[in-house]
Amino acid sequence: MNGPLNGSAIVVKDLSKHYGSGARLVRALDHVTLTIPSGTVFGLLGPNGAGKTTLIKVLTGISEITDGDATVAGFDVRRQSMDVRARIGWVAAEVILDDDFSARENLWFQAKLQSLKGWESRAEDLLKFFSLADRADEKVNQFSTGMRKKLEIALALLHQPLVIFMDEPTIGLDVSTRRMLWDIVTGVHKEFGVTVLLTTHYIEEADALCDRIAIIDQGRILAEGTPSELKSRVRADIVQLETVEPLDAARLSRIPGVQEVRAQGNDWTVRVATADDFLPRLFASVRTDQIRRISVEKPSLETVFLEVTGRRLGQDEPIRDVRRFYAQMQRARR
Amino acid sequence: MRPQWSPLWGLYWREIVRTFRNPFVLLITVVQPFMWLAFFGSSFSEAPASTLEGIFGASNYIQFLLPGVLSTSMLTVGMFGSMSTIQDKRFGFMKRILITPTSKGTVFLTKALGSASRGLVQFPVMVAAALVFGVPFHLSPLQWAAWVGALMLLAIGFCSLFLAITARATDWQTPGVVSNFITMPLMFSSAALFGAKYFPPWMVAISDVNPITFSALLGRSFVLGTTTHWVYLGYLAIFAGLMLAIGFVVSSRWLRVE
Ligand SMILES: Nc1ncnc2c1ncn2[C@@H]1O[C@H](COP(=O)(O)OP(=O)(O)OP(=O)(O)O)[C@@H](O)[C@H]1O
Ligand SMILES: [Mg+2]
Repeated sequence: MNGPLNGSAIVVKDLSKHYGSGARLVRALDHVTLTIPSGTVFGLLGPNGAGKTTLIKVLTGISEITDGDATVAGFDVRRQSMDVRARIGWVAAEVILDDDFSARENLWFQAKLQSLKGWESRAEDLLKFFSLADRADEKVNQFSTGMRKKLEIALALLHQPLVIFMDEPTIGLDVSTRRMLWDIVTGVHKEFGVTVLLTTHYIEEADALCDRIAIIDQGRILAEGTPSELKSRVRADIVQLETVEPLDAARLSRIPGVQEVRAQGNDWTVRVATADDFLPRLFASVRTDQIRRISVEKPSLETVFLEVTGRRLGQDEPIRDVRRFYAQMQRARR
Repeated sequence: MRPQWSPLWGLYWREIVRTFRNPFVLLITVVQPFMWLAFFGSSFSEAPASTLEGIFGASNYIQFLLPGVLSTSMLTVGMFGSMSTIQDKRFGFMKRILITPTSKGTVFLTKALGSASRGLVQFPVMVAAALVFGVPFHLSPLQWAAWVGALMLLAIGFCSLFLAITARATDWQTPGVVSNFITMPLMFSSAALFGAKYFPPWMVAISDVNPITFSALLGRSFVLGTTTHWVYLGYLAIFAGLMLAIGFVVSSRWLRVE
């Protein structure tokens, strides 16, 4: 139904989304400009409240744009909303299915909403692809979390969308289901050739899945590029070494390319331009039998995030995650 | 604007099937009018037949009451329609629907028609109950059809009204609050429970434009075998059409998604 898409799947120009007004004005999106090339897996990485979900709501037409322009699959989000909505799929953070119905009936319903004809064979293919075929006639409230998530992705793919939006696809999932979902996202992208826009606050998830990443915080895009482009923005490697006896810090600092030296007893953290140059020089100035252990940390998205936001995607995040997850669950149950 | 047949059918089907997969919803829909019939309807059961004939024109009060209770319970049907819409908003299902090329107006139409159809489930149950209470039925097929049609129109009207008022609501309690403001005045200022014979003039004025009155009188004329004013069916159609139009416009513009 949908032809191939050349160029950009999503173009966002100077887009703002405000909630509330006056003293309680929230700039959920603050002059966001972004181009997502067709055929990529694009990740929005940011902490709680960064504006990730808001961007998805605005692009899918669920929320109104305050200011600026956006096109999705070549159509204007504001003026051609129906055209956009016929070409996008959506996977919610909290799985949204009709629990009173079976997997096949959920697919039937989705096909009706999309006004599809001759969708049955594709539905069967999707059920097979997601290994749901043999349980497709069971009510979905008997499905496991992972199966529900898979069915939701199948629903999003049924009408052969050009772009699919996945809001925190792995939130609330255990580690092994998360791995499975990573494989699915990659597989879906390869098999069905869709552009994927996903949000996450897991750095390793963005790194593992995404061709391109934008770091978003407080409604603003702070950095954008391929994972390796982003990492090369932080021009430093971290070398950690443990020595047998105390070393002279000044001697380390004098080695060319060293930017910073920190010591804690015999544990040393050295920030260097590049470890490839530093290590030979280190071995030239320190006897190797003095070194008990040595490790090199290459630039990671972790360090990139720290660099552009001034904060770490911190340790308190997982806890807040769980709370938010439970809050969502409770809200759903009420 | 073209009608969206495919989503219309899909969403309507969902409303109907969901009802039958969820016995509680069915039970709730049927229990309340049944209670009215059983308890309220029995309040005159020891009165002499001549007294009843004098006031109600029927020797059995339940015979008089049944068309009225079926009509007033369409108000509750409207409230349930609004509650199921709020449920869809809260569970995020409204988002699932609206991130497809389905318009808010289509969602409204299927909610109004679906809830109204669901409300009619009580019709056969109530008629059966009335039979048990000794009410005789001598209706022609046309009269049965007209009676059901009148109730359907009334239900569509009230569902649309509730959906329009609660288009922006996301709180479970809102339909209940709205219902409190609508139900009592409309129920008692209609001919549904006692007939308007002994009403003060101001209540007669309300009763004369109250759609519940038209539906109750129409049904009563069938059950009691008195003269039928077929124009009432026309009034009910106008009421349903007007409310559908208002609800459609309001929902298209203001329906909240979550
Ligand atoms: N309906 C709303 N009304 C008012 N403010 C809102 C609304 N929705 C979101 N916001 C605010 O907009 C900002 C961005 O929220 P958003 O949900 O987009 O964040 P997010 O990046 O998805 O966060 P998370 O990782 O927690 O899901 C937050 O400050 C939030 O409080
Ligand atoms: Mg979010």
